[in-house]
Amino acid sequence: LRTDTAAPPFQRLLIANRGEIAIRVIRACRELGISPIAVHSDADVDALHVRLADRSERIGPPAARDSYLSIDAVVDAARRAGAEAIHPGYGFLSEDARFARAVEAAGLAFVGPPPSALEALGNKLAARRSAADAGVPIVPGTTVALTDDVAAVADIGYPVMLKAAAGGGGRGMRRVDGPDDLRPAMEAARREADAAFGDGTIYVERLISPARHVEVQLLGDRHGELAVLGERDCSVQRRHQKLVEESPSPAIDDPTRRALFDSARRVASTVDFHNAATVEFLVAEDGSHYFLEMNTRLQVEHGVTELVTGLDLVAWQIRIAARERLPQEVLDAPRRGQAIEVRIYAEDPYDGFRPTSGRVGTWEMPSGPGIRVDAGIEADTDLRPEYDPLLAKLMVHAEDRPSAIRRLRRALDETLIGGLQTDAGFLRWLVDEPGFAAGDYDTGIIAERWGAGPPVSDEDRGLAALAASTARRDVPNRAAETSPETGSDWGELGRREALRG
Amino acid sequence: MTDLETRISGEPVAAADGWRLDWADRARGIARLTDGDRSLLVLVEEQATAWTVTLHGRRIPVTVRSWRERVLAEAETEGPSRARPVEVRATLPGLVVAVAVAPGDEVDEGAPLLTIEAMKMQNEVRAPRAGRVIELEVAAGQTVATGAALLRLE
Repeated sequence: LRTDTAAPPFQRLLIANRGEIAIRVIRACRELGISPIAVHSDADVDALHVRLADRSERIGPPAARDSYLSIDAVVDAARRAGAEAIHPGYGFLSEDARFARAVEAAGLAFVGPPPSALEALGNKLAARRSAADAGVPIVPGTTVALTDDVAAVADIGYPVMLKAAAGGGGRGMRRVDGPDDLRPAMEAARREADAAFGDGTIYVERLISPARHVEVQLLGDRHGELAVLGERDCSVQRRHQKLVEESPSPAIDDPTRRALFDSARRVASTVDFHNAATVEFLVAEDGSHYFLEMNTRLQVEHGVTELVTGLDLVAWQIRIAARERLPQEVLDAPRRGQAIEVRIYAEDPYDGFRPTSGRVGTWEMPSGPGIRVDAGIEADTDLRPEYDPLLAKLMVHAEDRPSAIRRLRRALDETLIGGLQTDAGFLRWLVDEPGFAAGDYDTGIIAERWGAGPPVSDEDRGLAALAASTARRDVPNRAAETSPETGSDWGELGRREALRG
Repeated sequence: MTDLETRISGEPVAAADGWRLDWADRARGIARLTDGDRSLLVLVEEQATAWTVTLHGRRIPVTVRSWRERVLAEAETEGPSRARPVEVRATLPGLVVAVAVAPGDEVDEGAPLLTIEAMKMQNEVRAPRAGRVIELEVAAGQTVATGAALLRLE
């Protein structure tokens, strides 16, 4: 392991991202003795990640495609700043093989898997074929692009999922329940995939339901060693995007866990792999599992694995990029206790998780034993509509799952966010949901048990009325209107009449 | 202390009995509500007569009005209502990726007007009623915030 006298893996590292993940990488750089360089669009001149870095390079106007998604602007910024390496975070350019190649062509280290791996696994259809060839079970469906000849779909059996070959993050995904809905769904999925990825190729999988979404964290060095760092259960989702992740999964037994780890290794072996990646699976009720995709980057939810393993995955990503070897302590890292992450989004869970916008005012995050908050904002921050509405990740770690849920409840009770609705209301409901506590739920939990949320209870209505009326009485400049002395507005009106003369 | 009327979603609501409010941080609107051994933190934000109380992570709008404000408000709601042009506004923030109509177009209620991409999803904005597009206020490629004017229908 590192000693204090060891040289930093790099002198300067540029972080091609924003928000909480940029801050997460800045912190890893600080601990490794690396000077962190941020980038910013014109919308982010005063952003928190910019202020926490040693310097920041402007990369363009607010629109992401002209700034955070601009390969040339990011590589130029790294050159200007004299960075030796680029960490892409997640999203944006993190899985773009052209970007990874451009970084390497500029003589810099790309903190991520090799471009060839990004390319091979970026096409979800090709990845399905490779996984199947490596003996890994895949969701029944097509392994070639879906054409207008839809006979193949009937053979698979409804309901089915349409997915984008270039996809990820739930984009281009459509559930189809019967043949009548197929054509319109195909068109919508193609359009969405084309808009998001510039590639409208779609394929079809049978819908596995009920299912758990379970993923395996991998970390590999450039010398052929591969660490399997446990799984994360990410079954609480809306729009096929995760809201809650935990490790270990409460839904699988040890034989299933071993089978998942084995499949994850097999998928990784289909490419030249190093650095960090995650292999995603669906696990059916009977414990059988199906490969979904392999994400060749750091995941949003990596902190869950960091809590149970005690490892710093971001630091290891950087050290691997500097050709360090994974020591035995990492390869055999034991996992301890239960970690749960909830994502705090600027979204209204009482209105279909629609994004909300505006200014975050009060921003009170929890602290204390077993709590970690990775936030991208602070109090009094205007949210930008251009970017992802993730505000913070709240993580808890405790000795077992019931303790972790109690800790999460306590943490959410300490959390206060002003200015706009967030999904915190949903998360607070979730920790009291008996099925969640029992680990008895699947990816349909939001649709089936939450819907648009319960009505406000009578007690909560009474408490809100009490809080608002007390607050109004306590506003200094209104005290005269309602002070005990005048007793009521009748008195106040009379007094004003008298003063008018 | 019955001089203030509190309403939630238009319905009068009585303040909870037996609970006490103590400010933890008055400037930021943070208070603790306590009833015996039960307690919780709430956030209270003021917007004119409309207050927002965040409780268990949920924002609950509460109107708080004195008798005089109530009488004035009731007097104001009388008056003729006539059909006016409607402004179609963005209900979510995002990127306008497509505009399906042009000024002068007649549209039916529910007709797609434009597409906003947000949270990686394409959301269609539809006509709230039939009418004629009189003004387009956005173009494809433009980013809009919630509440931004998109177009006007007459």
